[in-house]
Amino acid sequence: MKRTYTRIAMAALVASAWLSQASADEFLVGAEIPLTGNLARVGAGMQEGIMVAAEVFNKTNGKHKVKIVTVDDESAPAKAIAAVEKLASQGVVAITGGYGSNNISPASDTANKLGLVYITSGGVDDSLVASGRKNFFRINNTAGYEKAMLGMLADVGAKSVSIVYSTKDATTGLAKDVEKALAARGVKVTTHSFDPAITDFKPIINKIKLQDKSEVVAMVGYENDYVGIIRAARVLKPKIKAMVGVWSLATPKMAADFPDLMPNVFGTALLPFPTEFKTADGKAFSDAYKQLYKKEPDYLGQFGYVQSMLLFEAIARAADKGTIKKGGVAEEMRKTDRETLIGRVQFAANGDNQNFVHRMAQHQDKKVVIVWPKEHATGKLAYPAVPW
Amino acid sequence: MTELILQALYSGLLQGGSYALIALGLALVFGTMKVINLAHGELVLLAAYIAYSVESGLGLGPMFAIPIALVIVSLTSVGVYLIVSRIKKDREINSLILTYGIGVILTNFILLVWKADIRSTSSSWLQEGIEIGPFFSMRSEVIFFGVSLVLMAALWRWLATSWYGRAVRAVSSNRDAAKLMGIDPGRTELVSFLVAGILAAFAGVALFSYGVIQPAYGGALTVKAFIITVLAGIGSIPGVLIAAVLLGVAEALTVTLASSALQELSGMVLFLLVLFIMPNGLFGAQRRRG
Repeated sequence: MKRTYTRIAMAALVASAWLSQASADEFLVGAEIPLTGNLARVGAGMQEGIMVAAEVFNKTNGKHKVKIVTVDDESAPAKAIAAVEKLASQGVVAITGGYGSNNISPASDTANKLGLVYITSGGVDDSLVASGRKNFFRINNTAGYEKAMLGMLADVGAKSVSIVYSTKDATTGLAKDVEKALAARGVKVTTHSFDPAITDFKPIINKIKLQDKSEVVAMVGYENDYVGIIRAARVLKPKIKAMVGVWSLATPKMAADFPDLMPNVFGTALLPFPTEFKTADGKAFSDAYKQLYKKEPDYLGQFGYVQSMLLFEAIARAADKGTIKKGGVAEEMRKTDRETLIGRVQFAANGDNQNFVHRMAQHQDKKVVIVWPKEHATGKLAYPAVPW
Repeated sequence: MTELILQALYSGLLQGGSYALIALGLALVFGTMKVINLAHGELVLLAAYIAYSVESGLGLGPMFAIPIALVIVSLTSVGVYLIVSRIKKDREINSLILTYGIGVILTNFILLVWKADIRSTSSSWLQEGIEIGPFFSMRSEVIFFGVSLVLMAALWRWLATSWYGRAVRAVSSNRDAAKLMGIDPGRTELVSFLVAGILAAFAGVALFSYGVIQPAYGGALTVKAFIITVLAGIGSIPGVLIAAVLLGVAEALTVTLASSALQELSGMVLFLLVLFIMPNGLFGAQRRRG
């Protein structure tokens, strides 16, 4: 009987030692995401990528595990701060997520004060990397979107462009940069800013049709804006040669949801649709995504995946070195240099990914075809070509 | 320039028609109960998502969703009334908080059921551009402008000639006096919410047919409807149409003559200007009595 008790006690000791080892290797990572409010759609997309990254990391990393704790920031700056504070109180070692520069800015400030690394792909406003936040990292930026749009417009030889942009921070920043760069090249540029609340774009398109008479309409907004702008253009039919946009436009989702509006429309996209992943990382992402969400991966998931995977890898490296609580995660993030689904990622001193360059795609026959740059093109660019 | 202004006026007129359709239900409940139903925009949005479900699920045009939307949205509106009617003290203030809460619940219900994706009709027939002289618009805009006018006329006639319509006006004018005349204010308010639900159902289907919807859009719809209701003057149904068209035209002209970024601001300036000059709104009670 005594031997039995001893064996049970030994087994319990071994089990508890194993369990404590397991829990020591499981790191809580915070996800501060808009799952409700006006950014719910993009937030939900990014969250999918974060969860896929956790799934792949936990399966492949071996030694370390991550557990995601998500707090909905309700698309509101004040709630974003509260979300970061809540995550910190729950003991997260870093934060991934954030959408909308105006939400990310206060949230990453809070993370910075709390000494937590904050990584995002949801804010392209340059003030995010110009404010001296030591623990802030992002994998995409305005410059990358600008290069893609300008490159494609240069290739087609557009001589006049009307830029229609939302007055939000990120969209205004990108529109102004594109305007400046185009004007410097001698292109005639007209801009039309719009309040994010407006729904009828006909008066703007009518100005483009009757006053601007531009060759290209460049849209810098979000999904709902694009639908409104393209619809107004289909009604008024200005004599343009192309409609070009940025994020959230050249996606399989837009092709599926708005098949009549999308033909020939250009937008930034890193991958064609149907998607082809040639790297092992890409295949792991795609397989896990399809298994978890029973659908084709999109760009939001892709960005969420890359930012989170880079963070998890940095956490693992810091854990190996025993520097998690000594600023090791930020230090490892700064050392990051690797090929990812969105290209090579290396962080500059301000936390920005210095290698980020986007690609341009075009909706063609319910597919998304990469058309710029030529070395990554999966199809031929159609120009002039409009959605009507 | 003339062509630009003419098109702006036409776009503003059609936009005003859709605003009026959204604002009618809120105006009716506000007029009867002095309750600002902050969940009204969500009721409109609920109808819009029902239209989306009918189109995507059954492959039918959004207009076939009207009967289903009428039943579901009217019942939801009655549900909102049953909750609001439980308030015993300071109904004006407490109903604001309560209906705001109901709006949040409805938004999250929509989010849970239909997800956060943006939705819009895929009917090319409704989206097709039509030309009337020098004016361009979508077919759905013209159709629902007509629907808006018909509903407004029907509502006005109902208020003017039916027993319940007159009861609604009586309760709106003086609740205690109406009670002394044998009118049951509770039942009359219930009817008001029911009619507001019917109007919201039409407004939602219209919204889905020419616009873009997303779960968080309800609050913006309520604000727009509230501005129009106050601009029109409490209790004035024709005033709602005039105020809505005025707002639509002001917004379209602002885009055309100034900047599109100022569109929403122009609505607020108009709102403040009218209230500064006419505190009871364009067709408010005091003015009508005068």
